[in-house]
Amino acid sequence: MSEHMVEARAVHKSYNGVEVLKGVDLTVERGEVTCLIGPSGSGKSTLLRCINHLEKHDAGELRVDGELVGYQMRGGKLHERNDKQICGERSRIGMVFQRFNLFQHLTVLENITIGQVKVKGISTEAARAKARELLTRVGLENKESHYPAQLSGGQQQRVAIARALAMEPKLMLFDEPTSALDPELVGEVLDVMKDLARSGMTMIVVTHEMNFAKEVADTVYFLDGGVIEESGNPREVLTAPKSERLRSFLSKVL
Amino acid sequence: MTTNGDAVKVVPVRHYGRWVAVCLAILVVAMVIHTLFSKLPTGHKVCHLVSGVRACHPGSTWRFSWTIVGQYFTTSEILHGLLTTVELTILAMIVGIVLGMTLAVMRLSPNRVLSMAAWTYTWFFRGTPVLVQLLVWFNIAILYPSLTLGIPFSNVTFIHFNTVTLFSAFTAAVVAFGLNEAAYMSEIARAGLIAVDEGQIEAATSLGMTRRQSLRYVVLPQAMRVIIPPTGNEVISMLKTTSLAGFVGVVELLGAASNIYSGNYEIMPLLLVASLWYLIVTTILSIGQFYLERHFAKGALRSPPPTPIQRVRQDVRGILLKFRTRRGALEPLR
Repeated sequence: MSEHMVEARAVHKSYNGVEVLKGVDLTVERGEVTCLIGPSGSGKSTLLRCINHLEKHDAGELRVDGELVGYQMRGGKLHERNDKQICGERSRIGMVFQRFNLFQHLTVLENITIGQVKVKGISTEAARAKARELLTRVGLENKESHYPAQLSGGQQQRVAIARALAMEPKLMLFDEPTSALDPELVGEVLDVMKDLARSGMTMIVVTHEMNFAKEVADTVYFLDGGVIEESGNPREVLTAPKSERLRSFLSKVL
Repeated sequence: MTTNGDAVKVVPVRHYGRWVAVCLAILVVAMVIHTLFSKLPTGHKVCHLVSGVRACHPGSTWRFSWTIVGQYFTTSEILHGLLTTVELTILAMIVGIVLGMTLAVMRLSPNRVLSMAAWTYTWFFRGTPVLVQLLVWFNIAILYPSLTLGIPFSNVTFIHFNTVTLFSAFTAAVVAFGLNEAAYMSEIARAGLIAVDEGQIEAATSLGMTRRQSLRYVVLPQAMRVIIPPTGNEVISMLKTTSLAGFVGVVELLGAASNIYSGNYEIMPLLLVASLWYLIVTTILSIGQFYLERHFAKGALRSPPPTPIQRVRQDVRGILLKFRTRRGALEPLR
């Protein structure tokens, strides 16, 4: 067991020749909450997606739980992992999306059981029990037979969190989880996330909710133009920013 | 509508243009029904004894020969033809749907060779008439007198077929219609797969599903909602395309009818018999399609669309309500 949950060293990523990540260094400790902030297009989401290999990084070293993401070191050579190994890695990393991405054709309960049954091979009965337990935890115990389209955005996002938790992840990634929500629904999702943070889950959160970052995060990273501009304790970074760019960003957001 | 709590009469908008159109439509329907059940003079006189008196009047017969239609409607020859038509339709559609789905997935593959192969298939089979393809498959023995299963580019063979016996008229028809259909079905399936939001695939992937699992459990069930309506259309179209099988000697519904009328010259009544059967099967298929669509609409709509029976009930209730309110004006709102 390595000491860091996530470790990125000089991670690079470009799309069609446009460099989005220009050498990012980041360390996430076990049980910590890390917030990634920064203007849109700064590479926050891309970094998050590289961590569970939804995107392949081009250069640099990216480790989750001590293992290289997407590769294996054998005999001094990097071997690309096959699909099955990558899927195995991903199943232990939960992800919550900006637009919820609940499976529209499945009920709330089925959304939470499908991964457990099809990926982890758990019995349907056990998966249902686990799903009900998680629904209670996110405060939606009476919605299990609803379809996603019948729920509000906040409720959908809470189901999405329960779906990710059902896989018993060691790490949770949140990609702007409240950006698509009506303002009055943001609170209920943040409450679930705070509760999760208190339970000791390792979380990386891309967010524009500065109050959440201030209150919950152990470390904040400010990304701009594909590099980490500034990082550290949220109270210091967010209240007394050193760099000019973070200062101007915060003045626009707050 | 109320003002100061008193009931006020509501005058709905009058749609004069619509009324004229409705009258015209009713007129056309009446003309069609009239001509369907009109009679033609036979030229002979028909005489009866009515209470001891001989009464004669000019003879007449149904213009559409309904009596003869009735005579042949359920003869075993027609019913056998109908069965062949249905069999051909089902088998060709199974080939078409399975192969079409495969082609669609190949077409969307990141591998260029697979996607080009699928594209070329569609280009060829959509680009040539299905009748030509049917004739080619029926005569395929000219090109390949025998078919063998073995290791390519070697002399090792496992099974050997005589093409003429393997490709009967019926098999040729199933193969021709099925392969042709696959080209169309692949485009329909592709449209359905593309229509599923990319976020759904990302969510499935992030749960640790493989490409195959996310296709099977997440993408396909949602794509079905888009795929089913045009596929229903294709089944109905296939039902009628099978009438081309007569060209290579398969006795399907139309073939059975034409066999009979070439003997007794009752051309119109037998074409009517065939048409009525095609209509009946199409109606059954449409009903099946409706319920299939309803099934796959799960989750896509907040409430499923009403069944026809529910809709009729709603309409009747609506009309009754309209009459009631129009007569008594609206009650004040409480």
